Amino acid sequence: MTDYAYAGEILRVDLSSGKTWGEKFEAADRRKWVGGAGLGAKILWEEVPPDVGWDHPENRLVLATGPLAGLPVWGTGGLTVVTRGAMTNGATNTQANGFFGANIKYCGYDAIVFQGESPDWVYLHIRDDGVELRDASGLLGQDTWETQQSLEKTLNLSGHNLSVYSIGPAGENLVRFAAIQGDYGHVASKNGCGTVMGKKKVKAVAIERGTKGVAAAHPKALFAAADDIAHSLQTDPSTKGLYLYGTLGGVRNLQGMGALPIRNYTTNVWPEEVETKQWEANGLREGFDHRGHQCSACGMHHCHMQVISSGPYKGQVVDEPEYEGWSGAGWTIGATDPQQVTWMNTQLDRACVDVNEFGWLCGWVMECQQKGYITDQDLGFRLEWGDIDGANRLLEMICKREGMGDLLAEGTKLAAEKLGGEAQDCAIYTEVGNSPRGHDHRSRWEEMIDTCTGSGGTMDTAPPVFPTDYDLPARVHPQDAEAVPKHVGGLRGRRAYEDSLGACVFTTRAPMDVLCRSIQAATGWDVDKDEAMQTGRRINALMRAFNLRCGIGPEVEKPSKRYGSTPVDGPIAGVSIMEQWEKMLDIWYETAGYDRETGRPKPELLRELDLEDVAEALWGANV
Amino acid sequence: MKILKIIPEKCTGCMRCELACSYEQTGTFQPSKAVIRVSAFEGHTSYAPYTCPQCDEAWCLTACPVEAIGISPAGAKDVADDICVGCKLCTIACPYGTMFYDIDTHKAFKCDLCGGNPACASVCPTDAIVFEEADKTDWVGPFAAERAKSPAGPLAGVL
Repeated sequence: MTDYAYAGEILRVDLSSGKTWGEKFEAADRRKWVGGAGLGAKILWEEVPPDVGWDHPENRLVLATGPLAGLPVWGTGGLTVVTRGAMTNGATNTQANGFFGANIKYCGYDAIVFQGESPDWVYLHIRDDGVELRDASGLLGQDTWETQQSLEKTLNLSGHNLSVYSIGPAGENLVRFAAIQGDYGHVASKNGCGTVMGKKKVKAVAIERGTKGVAAAHPKALFAAADDIAHSLQTDPSTKGLYLYGTLGGVRNLQGMGALPIRNYTTNVWPEEVETKQWEANGLREGFDHRGHQCSACGMHHCHMQVISSGPYKGQVVDEPEYEGWSGAGWTIGATDPQQVTWMNTQLDRACVDVNEFGWLCGWVMECQQKGYITDQDLGFRLEWGDIDGANRLLEMICKREGMGDLLAEGTKLAAEKLGGEAQDCAIYTEVGNSPRGHDHRSRWEEMIDTCTGSGGTMDTAPPVFPTDYDLPARVHPQDAEAVPKHVGGLRGRRAYEDSLGACVFTTRAPMDVLCRSIQAATGWDVDKDEAMQTGRRINALMRAFNLRCGIGPEVEKPSKRYGSTPVDGPIAGVSIMEQWEKMLDIWYETAGYDRETGRPKPELLRELDLEDVAEALWGANV
Repeated sequence: MKILKIIPEKCTGCMRCELACSYEQTGTFQPSKAVIRVSAFEGHTSYAPYTCPQCDEAWCLTACPVEAIGISPAGAKDVADDICVGCKLCTIACPYGTMFYDIDTHKAFKCDLCGGNPACASVCPTDAIVFEEADKTDWVGPFAAERAKSPAGPLAGVL
């Protein structure tokens, strides 16, 4: 058996004892779990029992890549983080890109699995087989960009010769929605994965660009498949905008359908004074000095660095925000000056918190201040809509857990529950505890139901990609209570498979047959779109089984009062998702093959997914 | 004569050239064996791929004590593996740092223009590396002169 597309080893790090060792990534497991999300789900299920909570030393923090990483398919430096996360205390499946996946494969590993808890702050240094836990006391208090700069200096490396994924002050102080940030602007943000890293006292992972090679089974065919994926991305109407501008087009597009969250879901109408042109994709890009800052092997005009061109932060180099940044660090908190929003977005990446959760939290505090539910005395200052300096002050309080920041550091759900009453009523969260992404999902029902039923600390299915590949309609009305859950349930699996490949979901956005050709060429497997879907569903089902074992069931699969409220103005004023909620869940459960009452994947589905042991664990031996 | 030309302001640092190059050189994807390398500057706002410019006055060729370096039909200065003794003199002589030494084979290695169809140019997604006809094979001289005209450094006119 050759190691096509795989390094073939998983790096195990026991932080309690300081021991590190390599473990074979068994060939038999590769096709079944692929890597990334799949490998992580397998490790969680096998190694994290229910009494090991997110903050328990025996929790696992899996940083995994997959078979396409380090190969010439676009956007293949991928990192998937899987752990029992701090926000839901359940499974986490969250991604970042950059060069993590490429660099670590060249060092000879497909994944890093942390276990135990370090007595002192450390960072993990990897240079081929040389793996070492090193003292990180000198890095404490540094933000993520400073941490990377410090390590570049210490190790005398620059550019992509060193990939650093780290936590900032938020992770050090166990802010519950801390993220893991790497390579200047790539963030694995969901479910408090950075909080787990902080709890384990790991400040950073620093991976030198290794000297080893990654082989492909059919290299020429791999180049050809990569070219076909690229061609599809460049020309298909559903991806061309992404190819040219990344997610920048989202602001105007979503605003038009009432899905841009403005001022904590209090309105869906843009203020009249807004210059709409500067919020177009090209306006956001050309409004700044900018330069491509692509991930491994990627040709998308997506990730960019930009220079702030006016205002107090003029001249600072920042990471061009994703749509989520323009939303979470901007519209959600009432900020409408792109120059300020981009600065705030990078502040959040540097401090290392989830930009979505910060948006919901900060917007909520702003609304509560406006309505008198949180007084100036409670907060320590006045925070008005759109006040970026105030938002940054709030971020600092949260990161240092100062004053009311200590409560807010627990995230929107826990903070709102603590305050209760009218304040709680205007907070945006799910009862599961995960953060919705940065849209107004009252206009995008697919994502509200996906976020609430998701088992990985965020959505599971994600927006539909070439649904016709699986005999589903190309588009459905976003507020169609029957078609939406059929779509979300029916496409469940594709995203989990993509998240296991070590690639970016923006570059795997090609027809499934084309994507499968790249995996065939890389691995030598005769994988087709049905196997890919089956594998993804296996991963989703296992994460759900993990959550059920942790006590997270269907009773919490619903939005908070505000998250599920009815828009008062804008394109879908008066349209209520909650009137349809139970019906949508019924359809989703039936489509997914899960039991409506218990939330469990049905035994016949689990057997079909080759998860006999899980069927037995959930349903007993005789079912 | 076709030459390999690099336009750094178009480079976004994706390193795909390194992958394709190493594949041509070794049969696997192994950037440590690539003979084109990309460097980042100015806080990841600027990148520059660099490889052998195939100098007219090739010091590597002059320095080689065993005459292992010749000129290939594609116009590349090329190392003959069966003659090279791995003394590394060429790596010292090269003013651009584009002559490499392979610790596994104990031989010098460098860009051979992939025999006339350079992989780096064919896979670059932003056309920052192109293989095109030119009157003069040594393009580095005029390029350096052009760049030196800009007092604000390489980012001027780019950002």
